[in-house]
Amino acid sequence: MESKYNRYLLIGLTVFCIILIGITSITDSWLAPLRTGVGYLLIPIQSGVNKVGVSIYNEVADYTKLNTALEENKKLQEEIDRLLEENNRLMSEQFELKRLRQLYELDQDYLQYEKTVARVIANDSGDWFQVFRVDKGSADGVEVGNNVMAGGGLVGIVTDVGAHYATVRAIIDDSSRVSSMAIQSGDTCIVAGDLTLYEEGRLRITNIQKEADLKEGDRIVTSNISSKFLPGILVGYATDITLDNNQLTSSGYLVPAAQFHNLQEVLIITGLKETEDPSGE
Amino acid sequence: MNTKLKRAVINLILMITAFTIQNCIFPLLPFLSASPNLLLILTFSFGFIEGKRAGMVYGVLAGLLLDLFYSGPFGFYTLFYIYVGYINGICTKYYYEDYITLPLILSILNDLAYNMYIYIFRFLIRGRLDFLYYFRQLMIPELIFTVVTTLFVYRLILFINRWLRDFESRRDTTIV
Repeated sequence: MESKYNRYLLIGLTVFCIILIGITSITDSWLAPLRTGVGYLLIPIQSGVNKVGVSIYNEVADYTKLNTALEENKKLQEEIDRLLEENNRLMSEQFELKRLRQLYELDQDYLQYEKTVARVIANDSGDWFQVFRVDKGSADGVEVGNNVMAGGGLVGIVTDVGAHYATVRAIIDDSSRVSSMAIQSGDTCIVAGDLTLYEEGRLRITNIQKEADLKEGDRIVTSNISSKFLPGILVGYATDITLDNNQLTSSGYLVPAAQFHNLQEVLIITGLKETEDPSGE
Repeated sequence: MNTKLKRAVINLILMITAFTIQNCIFPLLPFLSASPNLLLILTFSFGFIEGKRAGMVYGVLAGLLLDLFYSGPFGFYTLFYIYVGYINGICTKYYYEDYITLPLILSILNDLAYNMYIYIFRFLIRGRLDFLYYFRQLMIPELIFTVVTTLFVYRLILFINRWLRDFESRRDTTIV
């Protein structure tokens, strides 16, 4: 009797889950209130545990870093000198650019997006997915589809939002696809995450036109034609571009600009790409 | 508060703790190339120790936590964890305290099944055929970590069980 009851329970739950999977594969907007509700309970715990974890980690890390700090300092000093010089050069170029822009009335600057800083409070612990959660949510103006940056490069996209948290899928996730372009030539390509390349810290670049002028070391930025990503955000640098077997497209690898291990703070761009659609469709 | 309820509350706290540790602490440890799947260990241990019904209930709980965290199809993890609880609950008739071999074997099988489930339904169906790579790079490390962690976690659960029982018997004697 007991075991029969258990079996019915099992079958019932199975059917329930399968139906849920089916429904949520099509649309999962109705889940948002539920996720937010559970978020109210879990987020404080996660934030707290994360804070403790981070402080302990930093303590240990500080100690171990002490030895390398001096050496690093020296290196950084050299870097500062180099950057200062570069900055000077860029400044003069900037003035020139400004002048030219005024000339052409093109004073639109891509990277003037509204941003909010968020702290990473939870990561996917398994290695299968590269998903993490941050402590800013819809109450802070974050929306599904917002782009996330760190260290000057694109990190991912918000896939799910609660009142005080947001889930971000990193661009290194196996299912991530970013429509991009080379900044020099404007040739478009697709930057795809690939789990098999994750260890090497690289991503895949595909769908480059055969005639495209894309060379090793080219800066890859999000493209103007992407429907989800704002244009002009640095993704990384191209490397090892080779012609595909089909002789029509080439593909290669991308070294991301952002560092993905040990992400602690990220910038969320609070503004969606407005796909211009004058007809309103 | 009776023992059953107390156990349920303790188990619930253990689950949420495991979930937070898994998501907030493990990713911070740079020397962990893989991390043990604590929720899986807890679910199968509860199923194994307390039977099918309890296994299913904790399976639902663990699955819901994961489903709410990830934004994939809702119910994906719940479905799997229910079965983990149920199937390990069947083995409850072989459960003896201090008999650690069977739980370890179960732990290997469960973790393997978990990884295969993810691989088949999230990777293979998108045409990622390089099974050996995923097996070597992801499954084996996680398997080893999970089995080693099972040794400790399972002991902890047994310890809590024993403590609850002692507590109960002591209270009975004082009443009598």
